[in-house]
Amino acid sequence: MILTDVFALGVALMIPMLWAAYGETLMEKAGVLNVGIEGVMLIGAFSAALGVEYGGGIYAGLGFAIVAGLLSGIVLALLYVRIGTDQIVTGIMFNIFAFGLTTTLAVEFVRATEVTSFAQVEIPALSEIPFFGEVLFEQNMLTYAAFLAAPLVFYVLHRTWYGLYARSSSEYPRAAEAAGLSVWRLRYAAVIGGCVLTAIGGVALFSSSGGFVSGLTDGRGFIALAIVILARWNPYWIVAASLLFGVSEALQFQADRIGPLKDVPPDILVMIPYVVTIVAVVIARASRYPPAVGIPYKPSAKAS
Amino acid sequence: MATPQGLEQRSPLRSLPSLTDSLRSRREALLRLLAALAATLAIFSALIAALGVNPLDAFSAYWEGAAGNKFNFGQTLMIASLLACTGLAAAIPFQAHLWNVGGEGQLWVGAVAAAALALKLPDGLADWQAITLTVIGATLAGALWGFIPGILKATAGANEVITSLMLVFIGIALGNYAISTLFPSQSNQTESVPFDRLLPNIWTGTLVTAGVLLALGAVVFAFVLMSGTSLGFKIRAVGLNRNTARISGMSTGRVIVLSFAIGGAFGGLAGAIAVLGINGALVAGFSANFGFLGIAVALVARLKPLWIIPSALLFAGLRTGSGGLQAQTGISATVGEILVTVLVVLLLAFGVIRLRYAEAAQ
Repeated sequence: MILTDVFALGVALMIPMLWAAYGETLMEKAGVLNVGIEGVMLIGAFSAALGVEYGGGIYAGLGFAIVAGLLSGIVLALLYVRIGTDQIVTGIMFNIFAFGLTTTLAVEFVRATEVTSFAQVEIPALSEIPFFGEVLFEQNMLTYAAFLAAPLVFYVLHRTWYGLYARSSSEYPRAAEAAGLSVWRLRYAAVIGGCVLTAIGGVALFSSSGGFVSGLTDGRGFIALAIVILARWNPYWIVAASLLFGVSEALQFQADRIGPLKDVPPDILVMIPYVVTIVAVVIARASRYPPAVGIPYKPSAKAS
Repeated sequence: MATPQGLEQRSPLRSLPSLTDSLRSRREALLRLLAALAATLAIFSALIAALGVNPLDAFSAYWEGAAGNKFNFGQTLMIASLLACTGLAAAIPFQAHLWNVGGEGQLWVGAVAAAALALKLPDGLADWQAITLTVIGATLAGALWGFIPGILKATAGANEVITSLMLVFIGIALGNYAISTLFPSQSNQTESVPFDRLLPNIWTGTLVTAGVLLALGAVVFAFVLMSGTSLGFKIRAVGLNRNTARISGMSTGRVIVLSFAIGGAFGGLAGAIAVLGINGALVAGFSANFGFLGIAVALVARLKPLWIIPSALLFAGLRTGSGGLQAQTGISATVGEILVTVLVVLLLAFGVIRLRYAEAAQ
């Protein structure tokens, strides 16, 4: 079945963007715009390659990537929050930095010749369901975890004190501060946590590609930025939007079996997810960032 | 340090600084600059040492690659021409407070158009006619690539950071399509452009071509546009405060679209220089992030067109130098990207480069 295959592949391909979009949501809901998402993902994917090479397997890679995500988060939190550099410019620079760093280090340290991925885990009984069984229940652990993370991210943002405080620091940080909160600390937590999730997205990408090459992310982090806008910062809608992009990416790999796409050159098919992203951003025109997103906050106590 | 950047600059009514104030602030600015440079050197040296190379050797290899001899300096000049154009591609929309971060895509599309025109324009044309048409075509292609995020921003309010970034990847895919399918050749590039249709060499003993002159012309054009025309004034007015500009009767939508299209045109011109002035064909992966590095060039030049020249030379040297480093030590030339970005981020962090605040998120 073409449809089953496209969707099964689409679900596998949406996972890197899904993790990254969760991470970005955490940050934006605390008032930080991370355009450096692409770089964090790339560093996550590269760390996964290091883990496979020197740590003995893909789970070591996941551990390496979480540590790398923490470190990236600390660096970005210092820049975005503590020093308050412009977030768009810093993010773009961080992406080029990550490209340079991972490419340079990959030349020296990554030899990985064999394909390394998370093992596929079939869920008993559920995987028997026609269509949905194959699409949803014959994936790997990181994929299942990604779906289970949606209610968790929603819970953290909308049912915990942290979520309430963090959201206030993206809506009106001055009021959050007046209520006795530290806007900086809320944002530190969001940036560091968000970068860890984004780096896990990098691991998922490494796993689905089976290896690391220079510039592996190829815009997927930026697509996650669009997913967050399209889904209006709601984790459940983020899952749906990610599926849209996963499937649009899957089309190019199954194109030879789909009538109208059969004769389209592969270099053109590659464009589909990017075009879909532009269309999505235009459609989501009414979706606006929380008012304080992207603006570094200066605590009034420290005002001169 | 915690002072938010540009807050003091934003007030149009700030009092004129006294002479001693300005001397003190100048000394402080110099200290900040030195601190940023020292920190960059320290981080980079540590990285190089960690890769098993003596940092001093690395710096001499770097200098050798960037300006050690006439030929290498010529290469730096050519890269600087590219970066000057992609720098303008970022600087003009940035002046209007629009984030054109898609210079890389505008560069690629310009290069695709340049290759297509140089290869397919009829044989009857004189060489200079063909070259002129090719350069104009590439510039227009870049302008179109900038026009798209501009018009989407102006009409639908679509986030220009995301749209211009997406057009980067579409542009690169288009380039790969031209290389693999439209004008294929034996190697990983399009067919070579006939020699007579390339930009002429202007410095014997080097590979410096008239592309340098095109870039200089672009800088002068941008300078005149921004300082001497009403459109330039409007671009800056929209950048300072979009609402004020609208209330005072400017068509902000038109200014947004125009500044983006003009920025894109400079990116397209860079593509023409790459194809006609450097590579002689559209080569796969020809751009070592030159479009993105244009953002760094524009920032260090503080978005001022004339300052783009030294800024582009600096970053071109940092890039060609890393080629020299690769030749002598085997460290990948992409290490240049690390050096450049660490430098720019630290210049931002130490407050050497300051950007205006967004009035609001949108």
